Amino acid sequence: MVSLPERIILFMLVAAGPFLLIVVPIGAFLAMSFFRMENQQIVHDLSLANYAAFFSSWTYVKTLLLTLWLCAEVTLIGLLIGYPIAYFIWRRSGRIRTILLLLFVLPLFMSYIVKIFTMRSILGLNGFLNQILVAVGILSEPSQVFLYNQNAILFTMAVIFLPFVILPIYLSLERIPRSLVQASADLGADIGTTFWHVILPLSAPGTIAGALFAFVLALGDFITPQMVGGANGFTFGRVIWSQFGLAYNWPFGAALGTVLLAVALLAIVLGGLAAQRQKV
Amino acid sequence: MPSRAERITDILLAILAGLVFIVLYAPLLISTLFSIVEVKRGQIQWETATLVWYGRLWENQSILDAIRSTLAVGVISVTLAAVLAVILALYVEWEGAIGRRLIELVVYLPFLLPPIVTGLALLVFFSGLGLDRNLLTVTIGHTIFVLAVLYRLVLTRLQTLPKSLVEASADLGASRWQTLRHVLWPHLRSAIATGAILAFTLSFDETLITVFLAGDQMTLPLRLWAMMRVGFTAEINALVTIVLVISIGLTILVGMRLQSDEVREE
Repeated sequence: MVSLPERIILFMLVAAGPFLLIVVPIGAFLAMSFFRMENQQIVHDLSLANYAAFFSSWTYVKTLLLTLWLCAEVTLIGLLIGYPIAYFIWRRSGRIRTILLLLFVLPLFMSYIVKIFTMRSILGLNGFLNQILVAVGILSEPSQVFLYNQNAILFTMAVIFLPFVILPIYLSLERIPRSLVQASADLGADIGTTFWHVILPLSAPGTIAGALFAFVLALGDFITPQMVGGANGFTFGRVIWSQFGLAYNWPFGAALGTVLLAVALLAIVLGGLAAQRQKV
Repeated sequence: MPSRAERITDILLAILAGLVFIVLYAPLLISTLFSIVEVKRGQIQWETATLVWYGRLWENQSILDAIRSTLAVGVISVTLAAVLAVILALYVEWEGAIGRRLIELVVYLPFLLPPIVTGLALLVFFSGLGLDRNLLTVTIGHTIFVLAVLYRLVLTRLQTLPKSLVEASADLGASRWQTLRHVLWPHLRSAIATGAILAFTLSFDETLITVFLAGDQMTLPLRLWAMMRVGFTAEINALVTIVLVISIGLTILVGMRLQSDEVREE
């Protein structure tokens, strides 16, 4: 048997890489949020000034709240469309089911940047949406209302993150034993009753996981808002990004990033608790 | 026999799935179409159909450089992550391991955190070390990002192997190294390969972390972003089509490998 000191040394050897490249950077990032800027230089004095500046500025707090609302909407749309599709795939069988699953998961891996630009070319003034609406006669001329606002961000994010919602829901549906569904039917429950009382509760863990994916991804996204949101499309992620770019205030940006991290972790913990309760 | 309500539900769901399918695959449909034909006033000009733009790509030095960077970053970061993942998984499965949960948490962190946090954390870290941002910093970022995927697949494979396999090997007098080389490795190999393809697919498309770490270097997604900001040309659409087809091909490969693993286990 290996002695304890040897086990500790081995642990340190194995864990050194991940700790150095994951834990230390996150630590450095958190530390940065307590520093301050002076004459374009980062001063290494520890204080809570950045957090105080954030919480006392209604503009920043409002941006965070609006972003949270946006993420909640993205999540809701994701669930409302993602759940029926996962359910549809699950109801097929054999090869068709496998192929359908693959088709709806594949877009997950398609280029993120390309997806954003595609949405732009669909929503834009000369975009497909306008061309179709004008051709059908709903609009008399192309409209600018589809691009460069909060709704454009919402719609684009909902499309981009949808596969992240479908996959976990499908996986939890797949774990439901067919015999349970059969038993419910044998006991006289119609398809609606079986769905509400058997399938929906049993697939809750995957539904929660899918919701979390959509929420956290939307929360941290800063490129979509910039590309389809235009001047009106400010989100919290974009504000953080600007602090590390043009605004050049890394400590304040790090504090905002830490707030975002805290919100993401809170969402993950709450989601985890909700999933646990469902299991019992 | 499905009831009437069930049939109607299924039809409605199929219509929804069809619509969503079109939206999800719009990037591929649009880029493929525009890389081959011109569209004027909403009319497709079939007589302009040409594949010449696919050939032109190979004359564009900035695109070739970006492809080379992306391949180098992908191959090196996946290799590093695979080695790390195997070491970590073997350690976590070892009976004398301590801090298992801590290691797992750390490995999964970059995958769970919003990419903006991972990217900024590395940015602050590298600048604190005085490291210039270039492909090396991008490679490190990608390594820790894809580590979780490789670790998960290798660990799952290790856990499905019967303990008696290792015990039998030890009983027969094999050293730990011999057991690893001749007993475990043949089983791990295919899980590592699947994980490596999946990890490469993720690295190939990674943008949200990369943008903080690339400095003035360009990976393919960053080059595409820069090109598309200026406007769409047939050449960009040709490049986009190739990029999408590669991602789709790699994902299908991963899907098929995971599927055949499942069949084998049953």
